[in-house]
Amino acid sequence: MKKIGFLLLSFVFMPQFNAQTKQGHTNENKFRQMYDLLATPNEQHNATGAPGKGYTQQKVDYVIDVTLDDDKKQITGAETITYHNNSPDKLEFLWVQLDQNMRAKDSKTPDINTNKIPEKLSKTRFEKTFENEPFDGGFNIMSVTNVDGSPLSYTINQTMMRINLLKPLASGEKFKFNINWWYNINNHREDGGRSGYEHFPKDGNNNYVIAQFYPRLCVYNNVEGWQNDQFWGRSEFALEFGDFTVNITVPEDHMLGATGVLLNEKEVLSKTELKRLAEAKKSFDNPVIIRTQEEAINFEKSKATKTKTWKFFAENVRDYAFATSRKFIWDGMAVDINGKTVMAYSLYSKEANPLYGDHSTRAVAQTLKTYSQYTFDYPYHKAISVDGQMGMEYPQICFNPGRPNPDGTYSDRVKYTMIKVTIHEVGHNFFPMIVNSDERQWTWMDEGLNSYLEMLAELAYDKNFPMSRGLPKNIVNYMSGDQSKIAPIMSKGDNVYSFGNNAYGKPATGLWMLRETIMGKELFDHAFKTYAQRWMFKHPTPEDFFRTMEDASGVDLDWFWRGWFFTTDITDIGIKGVKKFYSSKVDEDSVGFIEDTSEGLGFSTKQSKYHYEITYEKPGGLVMPIIVEFTFKDGSKERKTYPAQIWRYTDDEVTKVFSSSKEIESIVADPDLETADVDTSNNSFPREKSDKFDKFKKEIKG
Amino acid sequence: MDDIELALNKDYNIDLQLTTKKELPNNDVYFEKYLRDKLKFTIDGTQKKFNYIGKEYENDLVYFYLEIENINQVKTIKINNKILIKHFPEQQNLIKSNVGKKNKSILLNNEETSGILEH
Repeated sequence: MKKIGFLLLSFVFMPQFNAQTKQGHTNENKFRQMYDLLATPNEQHNATGAPGKGYTQQKVDYVIDVTLDDDKKQITGAETITYHNNSPDKLEFLWVQLDQNMRAKDSKTPDINTNKIPEKLSKTRFEKTFENEPFDGGFNIMSVTNVDGSPLSYTINQTMMRINLLKPLASGEKFKFNINWWYNINNHREDGGRSGYEHFPKDGNNNYVIAQFYPRLCVYNNVEGWQNDQFWGRSEFALEFGDFTVNITVPEDHMLGATGVLLNEKEVLSKTELKRLAEAKKSFDNPVIIRTQEEAINFEKSKATKTKTWKFFAENVRDYAFATSRKFIWDGMAVDINGKTVMAYSLYSKEANPLYGDHSTRAVAQTLKTYSQYTFDYPYHKAISVDGQMGMEYPQICFNPGRPNPDGTYSDRVKYTMIKVTIHEVGHNFFPMIVNSDERQWTWMDEGLNSYLEMLAELAYDKNFPMSRGLPKNIVNYMSGDQSKIAPIMSKGDNVYSFGNNAYGKPATGLWMLRETIMGKELFDHAFKTYAQRWMFKHPTPEDFFRTMEDASGVDLDWFWRGWFFTTDITDIGIKGVKKFYSSKVDEDSVGFIEDTSEGLGFSTKQSKYHYEITYEKPGGLVMPIIVEFTFKDGSKERKTYPAQIWRYTDDEVTKVFSSSKEIESIVADPDLETADVDTSNNSFPREKSDKFDKFKKEIKG
Repeated sequence: MDDIELALNKDYNIDLQLTTKKELPNNDVYFEKYLRDKLKFTIDGTQKKFNYIGKEYENDLVYFYLEIENINQVKTIKINNKILIKHFPEQQNLIKSNVGKKNKSILLNNEETSGILEH
């Protein structure tokens, strides 16, 4: 009884109570500017999204001697590093990355991956997980010394090594030191990895794709200070630019490709190969084979005991990698980039032919052309695609998947997957090898931008290229999934659930939507190019990208970045209801509207003009343009696009009048699936009744 | 498509060659067998058998159409899904349900092979 009394009392006093203490709120408008989310512009990263007048960047030069032991499958190296401190700060120590330690016996990477006892396992996986000793693929640091040979103090913390300087390195000074090391190369076909070897039991040979093979300096920048976040295996790399002088010693019967200009081609290539190479440099239409399959097959029959040293110089690159095998076939083709000749090359074993011979070098060439068109002219002299049976990118060289059947045939699926990955990995030469974002922190900045440009290169390679990732309709399944297992794009790669969708698919789709639907091609392309050119050979942040895209286009996109990149909100816009009106003169000065309440979209009487009052609902959290297609009774169609700003006063529903001299038959919102609308069941009016399932079943059962 | 093809080829020792001219003509038999083995539905506490209607390809995806008949109402759907996880330990299986106007979703993987959707 007492309780009821209390309730009644509250009820009576409610209106007054509310009026007195009504809760206020902060600005939750979806179009508010992003002052709460973006770092404040400063002298290094300015308000337009360009490098500011105080922008600095370190430079690191390497002289590396590296030897491959084909029997033991080991890399042994010695390097001299020259570190240029261009920052205004003095540095008490330097941080060096020891990426191979992710594969060390005591690596913590396996420890952070949870597991349970499975019901069933394949035998090899069982042995690997439960029986075998862990593979020891970590760096063995033999010495760290000053230039005079005296030992230099260092501390290893997992995949990071701190070089303890005797006295701090002042701004503008440089520091030179040596590191000697060796490590066991992993079998990447069995143990995975971004480099390693593949063993061919039939002929006893190995293909090597070698990267992260030397201790590399961490980035020291204006935003993070030292980027010395551990390498756990997924979030990739942050690296400084510098000049590399590299001597690589391998068995003398190996064919080798690497970052940089080959300095001693006469010592390592045969006269015939040199002649064919010269022909390739003049062949702009078809690849020229420089080492043939027959020659490679001859080499793989025996193993040379002598070695050969390949000497390279690479100017202004952020990293270094190479691929080597006696099994490699080599072809090359010239590519015209705005009057400059760049070489597209491929290295592949016979197992990858004819797929690689048919498409690899051509895909490289297409990538260089398309990406140059939308960013800047490719500044390096070559790009190599290697039959590495993974998908991994390094400056001027990348490792790609795909092999034909043993009889040499291959399906369209195998072909397109191989071309797709090749375009993607070659494309990484632009993002992040040149537009050098921080991969350790922001995977999307290189993977997302690159996955977007990849789509344009694919369509240029083959206008019927089967597109999958990047189209708005294909991200719907991911975005409409379990919210507890989705992370915003603005998350570190190590910590997201669905890496491919999160760091590749969704950001690429976002850019595709901006270009195709929200900004238009001309404004988007100019802004995107501006970003690429502002930040080539520099370290951009997400803010620099967001700000440049607005700065160079005059389109306010804060609402888009906020929703698409910083939240896991979804698009769902539908047509809630339609009212029909016709006008009628009331008196000399005014016109009235009379509602036609008949069923459907037709009118019961013929009018000179039909007025439709349409209510659009938005159950989704994202704001997006409303794209509507009206189909008239005579079969003709008309489209209307209302900008996203139509939602600026309300986040639930809006009403908009559409008037026409023709009666409407049906209305569809987002008819071309441009906005990643997760629920299209409310997109049509009158509502469409049958779904995909019904249609399929009807087709099957007849 | 590549992944499911690899899983079936390994499990049943076949060579499907999906979307090629050499595609096995009776491959639905294997797909149905595989799905019956890896996918179980329990609706409101009772395990239900599904009808395999067919499949269609779209780019690199395969859509399977299954139906369970004679369901008057649904409160809970328990899904047991081991599709692809034997050969792909990193596989994630996203499950979505739509009953009336309610959409539900769960994400299954190697460690969690079953989950319940409550409506």
